[in-house]
Amino acid sequence: MKFGTRNTILLGIASAMVFSTAGCSGGLLSGGSSGTATTSGTVKLGMVVPLSGSSAPTGAYMKNGAQLAVDEINKAGGVLGGRKLELLVEDEACDAQQAVASANKVVSEGAVVSVGGYCSGATLPTLPIFQKANIPMIIPAANSQELVAQGLANVFMINGTGKQQSTTALAFMKKSSYPTVALVDDNTSYSKDITTETQSQIQKDGSVKVLLNTSVTAGESDYSAVVRAIMSKNPALVYWTGYYQEGGLIINQLKKAGFTGAIMVADGSVDPSLVKIAGQGAEGVFATMTQTPDTLKGAQKWIANYKAAFKSDPGPYSTQSYDAVRLAAKAIGDAGSTKGADIIKALSAINGFSMFSGPLKFTTEHTLSSGGFVILVVKGGKFTLDNALS
Amino acid sequence: MSENVDTTQAPRKIGPPISRVSRLLESKQLGWVALAGALLAPFVTATPYALNVMTTAAIFVMLASGLNIVVGYCGLLDLGYVAFMAVGAYTAGILSKSFQLPLIFTIPAVLVLTVLAGLIIGGPTLRLRSDYLAIVTLGFGEITRITANNLTVTGGPSGIFGIPGLLKIGSVDVEDPAVLYYVTVLVVAVFVLASARLGKSRLGRAWRFVREDEDAAEAMGIHTYKVKLLAYIFGAIWGGLGGVLFAAHLSAVSPQSFIFLQSALVLMAVVLGGMGNMRGVVIGALVISLVPELLRDLGAHRYLFFGLLLVVVMVFRPQGLWPSRGYEPERPAGGTGDGEPGGGQSR
Amino acid sequence: MTQLIWDGLFVGSFYALIALGYSMVYGIIKLLNFAHGDIYMLGAFIGFALLTSLGGIPGSLSLVALLGVLLVSMLLTGSAGVLIERLAYRPLRGAPRLAALITAVGVSFSLEYGVSAIAGPNPRAFPVRLEGGVFQVLGARISLPQIILMLIAAGLMIALNTYIQRTSTGRAMRSIALDTNASLLMGINVNAVITRTFFIGSALAGAAGVMAGAYYGQIDFLMGFIIGLKAFTAAVIGGIGNIKGAMLGGLVLGFVEAFGTQWFGGQWRDVFAFAVLILFLTLRPTGILGERVTERM
Repeated sequence: MKFGTRNTILLGIASAMVFSTAGCSGGLLSGGSSGTATTSGTVKLGMVVPLSGSSAPTGAYMKNGAQLAVDEINKAGGVLGGRKLELLVEDEACDAQQAVASANKVVSEGAVVSVGGYCSGATLPTLPIFQKANIPMIIPAANSQELVAQGLANVFMINGTGKQQSTTALAFMKKSSYPTVALVDDNTSYSKDITTETQSQIQKDGSVKVLLNTSVTAGESDYSAVVRAIMSKNPALVYWTGYYQEGGLIINQLKKAGFTGAIMVADGSVDPSLVKIAGQGAEGVFATMTQTPDTLKGAQKWIANYKAAFKSDPGPYSTQSYDAVRLAAKAIGDAGSTKGADIIKALSAINGFSMFSGPLKFTTEHTLSSGGFVILVVKGGKFTLDNALS
Repeated sequence: MSENVDTTQAPRKIGPPISRVSRLLESKQLGWVALAGALLAPFVTATPYALNVMTTAAIFVMLASGLNIVVGYCGLLDLGYVAFMAVGAYTAGILSKSFQLPLIFTIPAVLVLTVLAGLIIGGPTLRLRSDYLAIVTLGFGEITRITANNLTVTGGPSGIFGIPGLLKIGSVDVEDPAVLYYVTVLVVAVFVLASARLGKSRLGRAWRFVREDEDAAEAMGIHTYKVKLLAYIFGAIWGGLGGVLFAAHLSAVSPQSFIFLQSALVLMAVVLGGMGNMRGVVIGALVISLVPELLRDLGAHRYLFFGLLLVVVMVFRPQGLWPSRGYEPERPAGGTGDGEPGGGQSR
Repeated sequence: MTQLIWDGLFVGSFYALIALGYSMVYGIIKLLNFAHGDIYMLGAFIGFALLTSLGGIPGSLSLVALLGVLLVSMLLTGSAGVLIERLAYRPLRGAPRLAALITAVGVSFSLEYGVSAIAGPNPRAFPVRLEGGVFQVLGARISLPQIILMLIAAGLMIALNTYIQRTSTGRAMRSIALDTNASLLMGINVNAVITRTFFIGSALAGAAGVMAGAYYGQIDFLMGFIIGLKAFTAAVIGGIGNIKGAMLGGLVLGFVEAFGTQWFGGQWRDVFAFAVLILFLTLRPTGILGERVTERM
């Protein structure tokens, strides 16, 4: 079928229009963007957190915590002589492809610092994107060893690492004299990280014995296989490093099977839903966790502010996200500019900045000097502080 | 009845006059127009975000064209297509990272392994009925993902990171988003063209024959098993190379990218676009990959929307939004034929 | 060892209940209802909604409340199945198999993400839980809830079998499975029988959903996906289209999975199940109690 002259003319007009807009708004011919440093207007902070999917509630906690800090800082006069902070929130949905698209989006919109990152598996692919744009990342939640292992200069982690969590777990096992332990993970990156690290630390230490190190498939209801395995080995303590969805089921089925030992979960399982799903079996379950607002002394006022602003309770990682924004603002202030290289230098130089997890000083690996992990225990249906283990 | 059907003439559509838009869409130039559009798009907007989204869309188009060979041309419902993509992406990622090679040198290995995967998956399943085929291919898709998740050589649940770029010639690094975009668009264009050509070839006719009525095809001397296996292998190659592009694009490969949802999305692109019609499939792929970005606020509800759309399209327009036109000359109304393009599908 | 057998049997009874629906529908209209697993999920959520709306239930009445909710859930999921059949599958009865299968995939997605849109993506804790005494039998730990649930499942399966064998509708189902056109000619109201088949199959899946919610305590909108595939595997193992085969297949799969996870580890569970499926389809496509196969498998 012939195209026809009329259609060719229309096509020509369309192409001409396309070409004429070529120079505008970031097209290839417009010279591209040389970094995102700005000298006026709002200072934009990018935040890539899960807003959909099963981690969506945590994403909401993080977003609100960050927004609280942004509002407070803006009320107190902003940064760099009156410039307001602005939070750009995008969804990672705990999926690598979406996280990469969202990271690209916040970079394109002019973010100067990234303050997001929850799912390690989704945060890892965004590292090269922020690095190429020379944007410092302050990661409030994702804490897989893989992130540390990348060794990138622009990445700073303010949540205790997997390694630090394992150290805390081992310290607890020794303190409470659990001679044998079973390690169970859900075969995802974050969870396996912790069990691998815990096992190697235990083996180096020598006072505890690992009877079982096994994985389960997430998303199922029936975990009788792992329950049977645990019952046959009969360890003194079971350490579950996956998320609460499976943790609740495993605790419930363990108790039904008559397990009399102790159970400990890692920070991915610290969620009120764990108690609901596990039922009565949740009572007395331990957890390695960084401080949550309700276990911190003196955080009552902060909790009240949060509640007033968002009409809901804060949750895991609200405080870390709050601190991430405050840290970004401080670093920008110290650096005196929004240039990535300057902010990175300022972050590395920070010494004693007060955060919920304690006074901040980064290690050479850009992680917290002290992980800030404590031991929680479920009492009366809620996670409460058991041992600060400091 | 003996009608004189002149089969030497090019097929004529006997029906209502078609609109200008239809004529535009049917013309041979459409492909070139689309390609020109894709090549010019970065001149309008080349932010990292836009390039990222467009590259992802291009890769999706490649996957959809590959699945179109399997589902659209040959009628084999493959619900685990993402397995081929995983094989390609992981092979490329593991080899290039271990030997520090640019991805482009891993392509021969990718081809070998994806063909092998096609044979392994196709071998036992192609003797089965379409219903079983669907579930078994889904099973293979899941097996591939879970195996990648469990083995250390594939990096376990974290997958493979820091995959080198496609190629580095002097100062031109294909890892640069704009360059990668152009390379991807060109590669995808070549493969889409190739699959369209395949559809018009003798093999393509054999596929369509098998899709319409396998027993009749067998009776006419077509070795149906071989033909189906070939469809599978071509689909595998397309999927595997799509996986290589995916690895280059994200520089990271993890099992989470190969869940069933991905296979279902590619299938939706093929079905909504019009099974067997390469142009429709390209449009379907663009819609499915771009619409979620444009409607970010929809979030996860987009899958509900897609699911409902799939049902609606299948119930009211099973040949797809843009059906393939039969290449056989049509008998005038009153003959024993259906007289309706693409209508040969219904029985 | 006995614990393994018991665990396998217990999980297997869930698989069997869902596999029944698969087999029945396949036998009668030769369609693999891909959305069947999601009907199971729908049943669990309907049960959840009903129980939450009832408010606090004292522990002594929990079993009674549960049984009541079970019946209502079965009715509602059965109706949902009928609705789906009417809207999505009946229009495509004459269309090629591919179209019907794709529609089933669409229905599955719609159910999953529809429930997610209504109830949220997070797992929910079931409000009423079955707790009960535990007995030690031959080295295996058996709990009262497990026995109750298996009795209910067995009861449902026996009732179904009686229905199929003894009633006229059951006879009609069997005859339609053998030859649809001849049944039409014999005056059987094929549409009505198909509707009834969907109702029963979906009701059974819904029952399994409520029981799973009550026993395991957790439901989420994707729980139907993998269990649908396992149920299909069970149906194939037993011989698809065959009622007794579906029951047997469910139990066998439960066994095989228990053994598999024991040897290979929990993370290989699904791979193992699918491998069994592929093995059966390659070597013995008609299943254990195989049906006479008239067409190419």
